[in-house]
Amino acid sequence: MNRNAQLYYNILRIIVVGVGIMLLSRLMWMQFNPKHYRSMAKANSVEEVVVYPMRGEVLDRNGEYIVKSRVCYDVIVVHRELPKEGFDTARLLSVLDLSHAKLVKQLKKAARSPRASTLIVGYLPQDSKLRLDEMNIPGITTRFRTAREYPRKVGGNLLGYVSEVNDEQVKRLDNYIAGDYIGTNGLESAYEDELRGEKGYSYYNIDVHRAIIGPYDGGNSDIQPQRGLQLTSTIDVRLQEFAEELMEGKIGSVVAIEPSTGEILVMVSSPSYNPDLMVGRQRNNNYASMLHDQRNPQFNRSVKAKYPPGSTFKLVQGLIAMQEGVLSPRTKHPCHMGYKYGSRTMKCHAHDSPLDLRDAVAHSCNAYFCYVYKDLITNPKYGSVKEGVRVWNEYVYSFGFGRKLGTDLYGEGAGYVPTPEFYDKAYNGRWNWGTVLSCSIGQGEMGCTPLQMANLAAIIANRGYYYTPHLIKHIEGRDSIDRRFYERHYTMVDSIHFVPIVEGMWRSVNVSGTSRRAYLKDWDVCGKTGTAENGLKDVNGRRSPDHSTFLSFAPKDNPKIAISVYIEHGGFGSSIAVPIASLIEEMYLTDTIMRPEVIRQVKEFKPNYSSYDRKQQIYDAKRKKK
Amino acid sequence: MISDYNISSRQRNNSLFGRVDKVALFSYIAIVFLGLMFITSASYDADTENIFAFSHNYMKQVMWICISWVIATVVLLLDRRIFHMFSVPAYILGVILLLAVLLFGREVNGAKAWFEFGSIRIQPVEFVKIAVALMMARVMSDYSFNIKRLVDLVKVAAVILLPFSIIVLQNDTGSGLVLGAFIFVFFREGLSKYIYFPVIFTAFLFIVSLIFNPVVIFTVLIVIFTLYSLLHHGAFQGHVVFISSIFLVALLIALITPLSGYAALMIACSIAVVLLLFFVVKTHTMTLLWPIVMFIYAMIFVPTCDLLFSKLEPHQQNRIHTFVGLVDDPRGVGYNVKQSEIAIGSGGLFGKGWLEGTQNRYDFVPEKHTDFIFSVVGEEWGFMGALLVVSLYITLILRLMRMGERIKEPFGRVYCYSVAAMLLLHVCVNIGMTIGLMPVMGIPLPLMSYGGSSLVAFTLLIMIAIRLDASTSESDGRMGI
Repeated sequence: MNRNAQLYYNILRIIVVGVGIMLLSRLMWMQFNPKHYRSMAKANSVEEVVVYPMRGEVLDRNGEYIVKSRVCYDVIVVHRELPKEGFDTARLLSVLDLSHAKLVKQLKKAARSPRASTLIVGYLPQDSKLRLDEMNIPGITTRFRTAREYPRKVGGNLLGYVSEVNDEQVKRLDNYIAGDYIGTNGLESAYEDELRGEKGYSYYNIDVHRAIIGPYDGGNSDIQPQRGLQLTSTIDVRLQEFAEELMEGKIGSVVAIEPSTGEILVMVSSPSYNPDLMVGRQRNNNYASMLHDQRNPQFNRSVKAKYPPGSTFKLVQGLIAMQEGVLSPRTKHPCHMGYKYGSRTMKCHAHDSPLDLRDAVAHSCNAYFCYVYKDLITNPKYGSVKEGVRVWNEYVYSFGFGRKLGTDLYGEGAGYVPTPEFYDKAYNGRWNWGTVLSCSIGQGEMGCTPLQMANLAAIIANRGYYYTPHLIKHIEGRDSIDRRFYERHYTMVDSIHFVPIVEGMWRSVNVSGTSRRAYLKDWDVCGKTGTAENGLKDVNGRRSPDHSTFLSFAPKDNPKIAISVYIEHGGFGSSIAVPIASLIEEMYLTDTIMRPEVIRQVKEFKPNYSSYDRKQQIYDAKRKKK
Repeated sequence: MISDYNISSRQRNNSLFGRVDKVALFSYIAIVFLGLMFITSASYDADTENIFAFSHNYMKQVMWICISWVIATVVLLLDRRIFHMFSVPAYILGVILLLAVLLFGREVNGAKAWFEFGSIRIQPVEFVKIAVALMMARVMSDYSFNIKRLVDLVKVAAVILLPFSIIVLQNDTGSGLVLGAFIFVFFREGLSKYIYFPVIFTAFLFIVSLIFNPVVIFTVLIVIFTLYSLLHHGAFQGHVVFISSIFLVALLIALITPLSGYAALMIACSIAVVLLLFFVVKTHTMTLLWPIVMFIYAMIFVPTCDLLFSKLEPHQQNRIHTFVGLVDDPRGVGYNVKQSEIAIGSGGLFGKGWLEGTQNRYDFVPEKHTDFIFSVVGEEWGFMGALLVVSLYITLILRLMRMGERIKEPFGRVYCYSVAAMLLLHVCVNIGMTIGLMPVMGIPLPLMSYGGSSLVAFTLLIMIAIRLDASTSESDGRMGI
């Protein structure tokens, strides 16, 4: 052994130990501070699974369920775990209530990512789920969900529906991820935050193929879901059902309000639909067929439509004129089948002449309110008609017209009240009181939502104020609903001026006038009919029948219900709107119907909707071409 | 003279078991058992019906361990002269096997390196390691052998290059590079520094040329070589003038011609080198010759390397880039290493416990029972496990070297060093790969990775070394070859 050999040996030993130290120092660097690596390892192997909460339910004002949440299940398949020898397909199909072709299609989809959980079919009811569990097929599991259920099957467009969030919503809203449900339209949307509840999370260990191996941390890290809050609605569901029954086959709206609180008792937009159609496996088909329906059952006419108020608006004109001092209850105006101005005539129907305000209201005299409106806007104290209209605008706004009332319902419309600026534009600045006279009887450019009209009924019932109409009176676990619903909104007209108007409405029902069919013994019903021209043409190019509308409240003192009924192309106000309103009032006030023949008449009444039918035909033809 | 040699001359028990090296044997057994443990963890399936079924990797490994130990026992009972005698036939057989696998083998992962018999796969390259080690020991233990002689250098080069070229043809370059470990042996046997130093210099240039801009490389080289010259010859001022004139000339060229800075620097260097060569010839300062030659070599090698690299396929470029840390692409080439690093790092100081590693159990670490077995150790037993495994390997390697020194005959010494060298390279490259220090080359962790060929081959390698060492005491004081 020479000296060099010894040196080489030592050098090589140093190299060997050096390699060991190099490896160990890198290991120390990695393993002495493992936080970063641990979070990455966790991100790899722990999967968060959302556990959906029970969505809040909705009761009516008497504690009956309007909207229930029912347990249902999604059926999930992990293709790789399916038994290789096959399984009882026929029984599975019967349990899942699925066609063979659909199952094959879904399994093929699942086979594309054999280790992942793939949704096969949703909305499996509880009893079928138990039967499925009994079959105990490996690879087929279920996931808890809730679906909506509607015991009375009413209020489709009022309640809205629940649907999966779309991409845009996922981007815009916090707390929502793809696959979550969200309330769309109606109450479901307006009270989404309350109804939703809080999602829970379960954590699972997953492998590299994203297959679930078992619970993470023995389930100790899981977060339990919190169910949504229960809402108590102001709706009387029995009354709602009755109203929808009466509105069957008619297009229009019924809104009833409790004047002393602003609580909405009934809100029907017809045509409506059975809300159950928007739940379950056929949802998409049902939705599409509704989308193609030109009568538009999804459209909530009660808060979105813009209808001419017709003669019901005369009440507002009379009130404003009295407040402005251009009208007194004793003022009489003549009417000879109309009101002549220049070369034109505003037509009226046969009744006594001259009339005072009460009788003009009771008989709905057009001429009388032409005088009233003319006197109102040409009042010399304003200096010009333009200024007169401006003052009139302010009054009308104070009645809740031309703006959103601020109700709790999703997508409320504002209606429209014509302004001087609008007339300037429309008539190139050349207009006078005669040009805008149709406004006096609620025609022309006036547009109101049925809710605004019902609110007017409530204002008159209250003699001058209203509470913002709303649909929810109680939220589980809260002392009160939103502050704005407890606030009285006064109109700009003093209470005293309402007396003759109410008197006129009472006479219209109880003595002589256009609303006689609304008479209910002992209940002192007050009402005002309306027959709104609409300028629409039917199939043959003839004028379509007028819209039929009725505004009413009862009883005269301490009113319990204020109602507005609006039937498109229903003809005279008294022909269809009056009996419907009257039946609803009778039902609400007495709990029974003593006049079954009126129900029959209402149900047999079929308005002429040929204009809608024509529209549908053209639309269908166009679709077929495509 | 040194403590090591005193141990070897200590009186030892004369039975075979008494004469084998206990430390080496114990390290070997410990590593094999640890390997089996973590192969079990890597391939354990909680849902299995029969945990002892032979379809499981760990049961197959148990079978291979039994086979290895039968072979080990046989080896320990053989006469030591047999290894000397059979080295040439073994080498020839090994080369024939390699050729046969090239012709009839089965391709796995792009490398045609396996024989397949039913469900058993054998990788001949593992056994060729034994053959080459024996052959190398035989060649280098010849009476007339002198590693400083060119003829003998050619001989040992041939012993390595013949199997190496066949392995490269099999597209199994990673395994082939293991034969590079023999430079370790040559160093021990007194290889001229004029040979190993250029080899190391080349490897160094290769790696830096991938990472750094050539201008940076040459700037650093010029500074280093000038410093070297300064240390040898003094004359501080002259060296400052020299080094600044090179860079000034380069700057001048870059400014007045459209050439790039790189080209300008190369021209300036060429001028300087020519002038320096004149100076060397005139003054006979031979100490400067070697640095100049090496610098010229770098001037040729670095551009060539860049050129060749640009000719490689993109995936090959990627692989090399990932190795030097230029590409961070967790889902691409670096994915395996990334997952392995996460596994080891998340193990922390004490690990997550045997069978509890999430990276391992849920298959995030690829090839976890074979090439990446160390990441299972690191994850489940943490730094303590890693420390244990690395220490066992280092102990075994150091022990093999000590045994080599203890054996008086060159055959045994060269052989033991060969085993130690190959073991070191495997451990360094494999563990380095799992912690992101080395490129992914498909080299198993000896004795721990799942796989029969590797286990049997390394058992044989180590047992022969132990057997040769055990012979030392037989012949102690009586004869030496």
